[in-house]
Parts: sequence; C-alpha cells; structure tokens
Amino acid sequence: MLGYVRHLDRILRGEATSFDAIRENRFDIPIVGISFVLTILGMIYGLCMGTFSLTAHGSKEGMQILATTVKVPALFLLTLIVTFPSLYVFNSLFGSRLNLPTMLRLMIGSLAVAMAVLSSIGPIVAFFSVSSTSYAFMVLLNVVVFALSGFLGLGFLLQTLHRLTIADLPAPPPLPPPVAEAQHTDAELLGTTTEPSPSLSPIALPDRRRVSAGVWLIFRVWVIVFGLVGSQMAWVLRPFIGSPDKEFTWFRPTGGSFFEAVAGHVQRLFGA
Amino acid sequence: MLAIPDNFTARGLIYLALVATLCAMAYGVAMGSYGLIAGGVWQQMLYGAIKVPVLLLVTFALTLPSFLVVNTLLGLRGDLKEVISALLTAQAVVAIALVSLAPLTLFWYASFRDYNNAILFNGVMFALASTGAQRPLRERYRSLVKRNPRHGTMLKVWLVAYAFVGIQMGWVLRPFIGKPGAPAQFFRDEKWDNAYVIVARMIWNAIQP
Repeated sequence: MLGYVRHLDRILRGEATSFDAIRENRFDIPIVGISFVLTILGMIYGLCMGTFSLTAHGSKEGMQILATTVKVPALFLLTLIVTFPSLYVFNSLFGSRLNLPTMLRLMIGSLAVAMAVLSSIGPIVAFFSVSSTSYAFMVLLNVVVFALSGFLGLGFLLQTLHRLTIADLPAPPPLPPPVAEAQHTDAELLGTTTEPSPSLSPIALPDRRRVSAGVWLIFRVWVIVFGLVGSQMAWVLRPFIGSPDKEFTWFRPTGGSFFEAVAGHVQRLFGA
Repeated sequence: MLAIPDNFTARGLIYLALVATLCAMAYGVAMGSYGLIAGGVWQQMLYGAIKVPVLLLVTFALTLPSFLVVNTLLGLRGDLKEVISALLTAQAVVAIALVSLAPLTLFWYASFRDYNNAILFNGVMFALASTGAQRPLRERYRSLVKRNPRHGTMLKVWLVAYAFVGIQMGWVLRPFIGKPGAPAQFFRDEKWDNAYVIVARMIWNAIQP
C-alpha cells in the first residue's frame, strides 16, 4: 500500500512520466495498485462532499455520506470502464501506436492526478459544507472543484500522450538544437545548474517542441467523450450531496441532465 | 519582524507558527476588549484570543494541502520547504502587524464607542496587516520565481485560495467584537450562512428592478 502511495507521489512529481523514463520504456504505472490508491482518494473526497448532508441544512440522512463515499470513486472508475473501449479504438483509428496496457496506464495515471487534486481540496469543501446553509452553493462549489481537478488530470493526459508519441517515433527524436536552447529562459538554465531536475513537471511540456496535430485530435476526442460520459454518469449516480428537501435514495429517477441542473442551481444561488 | 529566521528547518517553521499564534491571540484580546471599554462583556476577549489565531492558522491549514499537490504537479516540489516557510512567514507577519496595530484599535475603542465603527476599524486593521505581509511574502517568492517562473502563478493561486477560505472563516467565526447589550457568545445564534451566498443575494437584489 505504502509502495503504491509512493508511486502516486512519483506520478505527481513527474518522475513516472518524465521524457527519459518514457523513452527508456519505463512508463510503468502499476494499474491495480494505483487504481486502489485513487479509489481511496476518491473516498476521502466523497467523505468531505457528503458532510453537508449531516448539517442542519442538509438532508440529515446518515446514509448519504456513506453513499457519497462510495459514489465518488465509482463515478470515475465507471466512466473509465464505459469509455475505454471506444477511446482505444478511436486512438488506433487515428494511427496512434499506443498499445492497450500503455493506454490504460495513461488513463489510470490521469485519474490518479485528478483524484489527488480532488482529495486535497477535500478539507476546504468539508469546511464550506459545515458552514454553509445554501444547497445551491454547495452544488456549484463541488462542480467547480471537480472541474479544477479534472482540468489538471487532463493536463497530465495531454503531456503524457505527447511524450509517449514523441518517444514512439521510429527515429530517435532530434536533440534540441542550440537555437532551441537559447529560447530557454535564464531562470530555467539557472535552475539546471543548482538542482538536478528543477522543473520536472508531469503537466508541463518537456521542451519547446509543439504538441503534434495528431495528439491534439486524439486528446480532443478523449476530452469530449470522457467529459460527456463523465458528467452524465455523475447525473445518473446522483444524489452526491443530498437535497435538503428530499429523502435519501441511492439513485434518483432518471430524467433531466447535468447541464440543466447546473444552470438551475446558478439561478437559485442568486435567489431567483 | 527582522528577527524571523531565514532557515527552513522544522524548528524554524514551528517558531513561525508559534509567533503567528501568540501575536494573533494578543490581537484577539485587544479586539475583544471593546466589551470592557464600551460597556459590554469581558468574555469576548477570551473568545477573541481563540478566534483570531483560528482564523489565520486554520485557513492556512485548510488551503495548504491542495496548494502543495498543485505545486508538486507543476514540478516545484524541490522548493517545498522554502514555499512553506514563505507562506508561514506571511502568516507571522500578519499577526505581528496586527499586534503593532492593537494600541490604535484600543485608542479607537476608547475614543469612539460606536459598534459599527469598531467593526469597520478592525476591518481596516486586518486589511493593513494583510497588505503589509505582502512585502515579505513577495520578497521571499522573488528568489523562487527567479528559479522557476511558475512560482509566480502559484503565489497568485495561493492568495486567491487563501482569501476564498479566509473570508468564509471570518464570517463563520463572528462575532469578534461583541455587540453591546448582547450576551457573550462564541458563535452567533442565528444560523450560519455562507458569506458568498449572502453577497450573491445582495447583488441579485441590487440589480433587480
């Protein structure tokens, strides 16, 4: 367990997906182990998200917090299961040479980044949950928090996809010529002299080479498919927070959509 | 302010946290002394001694985890100790500045008894102290930004996130001063509400015909 947490740390630091690691075929995110860790992280956030139901202005249903704790990791893992086959096929159609395990590692890694960010914002959400009376505010705050962590997860996805594609090129990628070197800022060069790898970031470009059009296309398709399925999955799995004037159920009847609901809560927040 | 150590050891960090706590407690007592001076209740001084450090340090603690995770994602983990030290220094400086402003607050209480003015005056004092803390914070961040420009973005992220949590924290911890005539209380009896929701309603009511 601790080993997997350490591995998650390597992912967050960018060591697991550094350009060198990928080129030397050391892109080794343990799928089961990291899935386990990201489930725990999702549960931590679920616990924080569910606290609103325990307050005087929540639904006061004890089961809600338990349900939310289970549902947050389920939301992400189920979305992955539903979308993965089509994403893989799309990917192959667009000519990417990523094999199945690599793609799965990539997706699990991105989810792990998103879950790590999500659970780290958990304390703030829990604080707002216990100190807020407005259900609409809590819904919107959670939407924003999910969006933020999703955004960072996508950053990881894009950069790792980019690195994998570059490293996958048949010819070894040309070393950055001196001209490209000169484009580096002084600060970056300064950093390399004082520390071995000062800005090893999993979500920033390894060098100034542009992301290729193919990677952008695949990335866009993934974002749209994963985003749409994910938000609808969230809608199917609701309630997460627990409306104060509704009784606890594990699932609500189908109907409506995620986007309609968000628009409705924005109106309610402003008192309309 | 100049005596704050520039080292990044655990001892140094604890020292900063301790300074921040003690100074915040001292200002909390001064803030709550309105009751004593303007004919209210003395208990508010005791509550103030708890509330002001909670306001500063719990906000800090709630905001820190996500900030550290995002820093790590941006590849800034190597500078972690310096980052935490810079942020804690800012906390300590806010508290020290508040203590230095405490005599002004007491003088204000003694000369003007109006409750609403007392609230306003304290708001100004907090704003002054926070503005003052920007300077050492930016100074410490300057070398970090030189090393990696992403630190500059993260500093902005920190200020926004800290303010977002801090405003709500300040709202929840009311009353700090204690209304004359009202009984001493740690939290307001009226239901807790969200500062942002109230502002949103006010805006809505203002723009509605």
